[in-house]
Amino acid sequence: MSSAPALQAREVSMVFGGLRALNNVSLELAKGQIVGLIGPNGAGKTTFFNCLTGLYTPTSGQVLLGGTQLPGDPAEVTTAGLARTFQNIRLFPSMTVLENVLIGRHVRMKQGPLSSLLHGPAFQRGERAARERARELLDFVGLSRVEDELSRNLPYGDQRRLEIARALATDPSVLLLDEPTAGMNPQETEAARQLIFRIRDTGISVVVIEHDTKFIFTLCDRVTVLVQGELLVEGTPEEVRGDPRVVEAYLGKPPEEVQAVVEEITHGSAEGASGE
Amino acid sequence: MSEVSTAGRTGLFRPLSTAGAVATVLGALLPWATFVFNEGPYPAKATLQFFDAPFALSGFRLHLMLFGLAALVVGFTRLPGRGRVLRALGWGVLAVSAVNTVFLISNGGGFGAVSASDGAFAFGCYVGLAGGALLVADNWHASAEPLPRWKFSLPLWAAWLVLLVSFGAVLLLVAATLTAGGLGGAADPYAGPVFLSFLGAAGGLLGGLHGTGLLSWIGELSEKHRLFSVLVLLLCALGLPLTSAGNEYWMTVAANIGVYAATAIGLNIVVGLAGLLDLGYVAFMGIGAFVAANLSGAAASALGIHVPFLLAAVIAAVIAGIFGVIVGSPTLRVRGDYLAIVTLAFGEIFRRAAQNNIGGLTGGANAIPNIPQVELFGLEFNNPVTIGGLQLPGGVLYYFLIVLLVALTMVAFGNLKNSRIGRAWIAIREDEDVARAMGIRTGKAKILAFLTGATLAGLAGAVFAHKTATVSYESFQFLESVTLLAAVILGGMGTIPGAVLGAALLFVLPEKLREFSDYRLLLFGLALVLIMRFRPQGLVPDRHRRAELVAEDVELPAAPKEATA
Ligand SMILES: Nc1ncnc2c1ncn2[C@@H]1O[C@H](COP(=O)(O)OP(=O)(O)OP(=O)(O)O)[C@@H](O)[C@H]1O
Ligand SMILES: [Mg+2]
Repeated sequence: MSSAPALQAREVSMVFGGLRALNNVSLELAKGQIVGLIGPNGAGKTTFFNCLTGLYTPTSGQVLLGGTQLPGDPAEVTTAGLARTFQNIRLFPSMTVLENVLIGRHVRMKQGPLSSLLHGPAFQRGERAARERARELLDFVGLSRVEDELSRNLPYGDQRRLEIARALATDPSVLLLDEPTAGMNPQETEAARQLIFRIRDTGISVVVIEHDTKFIFTLCDRVTVLVQGELLVEGTPEEVRGDPRVVEAYLGKPPEEVQAVVEEITHGSAEGASGE
Repeated sequence: MSEVSTAGRTGLFRPLSTAGAVATVLGALLPWATFVFNEGPYPAKATLQFFDAPFALSGFRLHLMLFGLAALVVGFTRLPGRGRVLRALGWGVLAVSAVNTVFLISNGGGFGAVSASDGAFAFGCYVGLAGGALLVADNWHASAEPLPRWKFSLPLWAAWLVLLVSFGAVLLLVAATLTAGGLGGAADPYAGPVFLSFLGAAGGLLGGLHGTGLLSWIGELSEKHRLFSVLVLLLCALGLPLTSAGNEYWMTVAANIGVYAATAIGLNIVVGLAGLLDLGYVAFMGIGAFVAANLSGAAASALGIHVPFLLAAVIAAVIAGIFGVIVGSPTLRVRGDYLAIVTLAFGEIFRRAAQNNIGGLTGGANAIPNIPQVELFGLEFNNPVTIGGLQLPGGVLYYFLIVLLVALTMVAFGNLKNSRIGRAWIAIREDEDVARAMGIRTGKAKILAFLTGATLAGLAGAVFAHKTATVSYESFQFLESVTLLAAVILGGMGTIPGAVLGAALLFVLPEKLREFSDYRLLLFGLALVLIMRFRPQGLVPDRHRRAELVAEDVELPAAPKEATA
């Protein structure tokens, strides 16, 4: 191994009062890999993302991005190259689609207050470049038609894609996606899968949280299973799918029932976040 | 939105609206008062008899007549946005009728003034009110109709011409509004109602024009030709002394409005863009004013040094900015309500300190009087000037200076809003956690918002000090902070015309309504409650906020607090 892994979490623990939401969870992500993170509700998946991105300060443990330790501050983490989306879509609702992506460009833009005030030639150049890049990304996720629409007016699936475009705008080396297909119909889900592959093909490593196990097993290079804050199994999709502990802890129920649960989850979160 | 009336698009004939329009015309022609008041005849010949002199209409009755005729014509056309136009005209008629009715009743000693007495009758007000009410009621659901969008594009010269004409019209409207009702006080006992009535008519007119989609179109046009618009607007503002408002009195009023408008734009950065509630903002203006006063060489100032005006203004802005940073620092830790309390406390501390003449810098209760006038390029700013053969009134130079100040603040606001830092502010307003997660240093950005706002206020304060010649702590109290905040909210958060319009309204009203000065706060409160109820996005809403609030009528968005679901 010549180069460091894209992302490495070492024994991350997170305690809320008396609740041990994460217990020594480690994860390693090679460059250009897609890793799936699955587990029942309340397993600590989102908490893990929050610890990685500095939204929470882990009780113990370390997070390294490309071999260097990440600072414990969301803004610094994003600057360092770790971007994310949110399980319950959190766009800037009364900004336009394009402006949302421009916010993602924030960390890569140089203009200070003075140049923002004066709008000199250098400012104009930077602004033009940022808009160009933002439009490229909207094109990449398939939203260029609606760049002047307010993000709150987008349909649900488009809002998820916009969140991805906004995260990509920060030029990340690693992208964390928290349930990117929740609330999507099968066509949209398939489009999302293709999108994630295309993101990987641009050299970005991806971690995906998803309840839809079929989706995960056909998308990811490796899969990590989290149950009640503990790392249960880590391996290739085949290894994980066959593991009796996983079947017991997570897939213990007959397939139809799992599907029903998934349905319920996706619908529940869809209502909460989109207000549609 | 299920009970939406589709009347706006179907059927050419609208019996109720037509009845309202006819009633409005009739109301304009009927007498409004049964007798001539002791103070002299009510303006617009309110005691005029039915059809005695239909072509001698003036003042509010002329407005009513025009509105009625307009509604009549519009009611019979397929004008897009017809319902919106009719409703706006209806509101205008209602406002004009209500203002005059209330004043006639209160000033004429009861309903006798507006009914029948001593063989005279005066039912004009009821007919007018009914006409307005009919127009409004019949078009109550007009907002369900889409606002017409004018799509055709113009060649450059035509676009410029449209902008030139529009801004010229704005200038005339501003001049007419400013002078409506005259100076007030003993000279003209009816100044208050005449002004309010005019305001109602102007509002109805603008609302009607907006209903046709014209104003939005002009707005888009001016955004497309931004530089040209700014220049023309500046030119128009500089042209105000040439209109009917061109005397020393109105120049002073306009200059005062300008100072507060500039301050309100600064506050709009803090509140409208970054979403930080600042309840002590006027203190920064006060700091600027006291700094400038102390550097002006005024006899009462502690320092007794005279610094040239421009330098003094810069120093005042910088010192105010430093205080902005100091007050802004706690915003790193506190949010929302707590921030409001911190700023409120700062405003109070400033006022107390100034009242007690801290460090001998503020003159305490004696204030700092006799601040010398500004002298720039050999011009003394209190004197009238003659340019070519043109005689301009005294105070006009201050007015020009303040127009420049407002223009400067506008450019600063506009540039910042459309930049990396402005977007960051808006992101913080919308969702601070996510803004952080997107890499925005929220603490730095918030302090920068405070710094910018305070600097602009300090600059305005420096001009204010010289303009009014006396700086006293009484000018910078909680009420002023609240009024500025009200101006921003009333006009429309996050927009420039909004802040200017709000400041103009809130600072010109007390000037016009001297006899009601005891009720000033009450009127503010009432106006704010009404605005918040009927137009929560403000008079000139931000493109984004407008859509947001309109959408909120339909559905309330879930506002998730945690990053987890
Ligand atoms: N800020 C917090 N304070 C206290 N407890 C928390 C907090 N955030 C998460 N938890 C708890 O941590 C546990 C893990 O939650 P988390 O949201 O990470 O689960 P998840 O695996 O993402 O579940 P889901 O599939 O439903 O999204 C839950 O019991 C949750 O209640
Ligand atoms: Mg989760």
